Amino acid sequence: MNHSKNLLILLSFLSCSVGFAQKDSSVRPVIHSPVRILTVEPGVGIHTNFGTDLLLATLVQWNPGKRLSFGAHTSFNINNITQRKFNHVITDYNYSINQKFGVGTTFYSKKSSHTFMAMVGAKYTAYQETLANPDFNKVSTSISSLSPDYGLMYGLKKGWNRYFLSFRMYIPLFPWPTHGSNINYLDGNMNNLALELGLGIKLK
Amino acid sequence: MTRSIFLAILIAAIVMNVLSSCKEDAFSPNQTEEMSIQSLANGAIYRIKIALPDNYNSSRESYGSVYVLDGEENFDLVAKTCKEISTDHSTPNVLVVSIGYGKDRSVDYTPTKVGADTGGGAEFLNFIRTQIIPQVEQHYRADTTRASRTILGHSYGGLFGACVFAVDNSLFGNYILLSPSIWFDNEVSLELEVQNRSTNKKNHQLVFLGIGEMENAGRMQAPFQTFYEILRDTYPDINVTMNREKYLDHMGSRDPNIIKGLNYYFQNR
Repeated sequence: MNHSKNLLILLSFLSCSVGFAQKDSSVRPVIHSPVRILTVEPGVGIHTNFGTDLLLATLVQWNPGKRLSFGAHTSFNINNITQRKFNHVITDYNYSINQKFGVGTTFYSKKSSHTFMAMVGAKYTAYQETLANPDFNKVSTSISSLSPDYGLMYGLKKGWNRYFLSFRMYIPLFPWPTHGSNINYLDGNMNNLALELGLGIKLK
Repeated sequence: MTRSIFLAILIAAIVMNVLSSCKEDAFSPNQTEEMSIQSLANGAIYRIKIALPDNYNSSRESYGSVYVLDGEENFDLVAKTCKEISTDHSTPNVLVVSIGYGKDRSVDYTPTKVGADTGGGAEFLNFIRTQIIPQVEQHYRADTTRASRTILGHSYGGLFGACVFAVDNSLFGNYILLSPSIWFDNEVSLELEVQNRSTNKKNHQLVFLGIGEMENAGRMQAPFQTFYEILRDTYPDINVTMNREKYLDHMGSRDPNIIKGLNYYFQNR
């Protein structure tokens, strides 16, 4: 069952990527844009639990061929940055470090390129909370967790100069999403869908 | 640029919709019965479902009962898991009683009013005590002792279970509390526990506390740990354990903790 689910997701992703390519080629059949061999794209981002996590991330992308792309994505996330004290609960620290590597393909248009990659890596998360309610003894709980991290990444590069605008979206597939009672309530992976925006630099 | 970002977000929405629409098959036992009960306190109508053990009609014994909050979501998994555990361990199954939604769950499951949609917990508890449990125990062969009754809740449902533990401990002997929102209203559930501790300490308790390791939104873990330590350290006659489900967050940890909580209950009841 899980294999068929994964296949379905992969097909959806690929069909979307083909859609991008077909749309662009129909409008502009001749591609003038050169392939950027090596880029580095620092940026900042958020998770889709909008506003509570700050992501400092960078993507290094290597395109050895026109349709072949490799990527290394690193991010340091300061989690729950906007709400460090709530109902006597103090967040002492809360961060994640993610490192992923991926392979995929890139489609080019006149002013931009679209990259789709499957990413695999690891995530380390550490946080500590303390209940400082004056009516009770102070209790602290610290968690540190190393987990797999895999998913799908879409990258948009806008502009063909040495410096360009970079947008990324990462859809984590671990752990598998779970539905809640409220369809408006983001949880599981939907909470960790990352949106990043930054400045890309062409190195080669 | 804007169009591309919009398209990218649309792709994400499609993929996430595909992911989240993959649901497990519903539990469909031969013996599931339904009734609707109108709360005398708030007038809302609640859909109650009862899963009966396989051998219910052929036996004469009385059964323990598990009352499931957020029943619309959790009933199938609880009923299926109870059936599997009782079969695997050759131990009597239980009546699984699903309490569906009547009013907003955030009204029914919270003990105090801190906003427009909270604070109906006392009414809801009264509804369970005076209407649901009597009807179930009148119409079905449910064991009527406190020790045979279990309440299972997640999130606000877990908070409600913790408050029932504190304020009406004679009703249920077993508590499966998953990601309970102990933080609610400056940890008012912990205050309720302190107020009633001297009475409740005389009872035997079985409590399973579950949470997700990745519930890191700055409110869940420390109050949860405090509640666990209070139970562990101050109740002389208690079977209590806690489980932090690795890698999982608030919703992701719910189902694994339901399964572990029910296993703990069947092994220690």
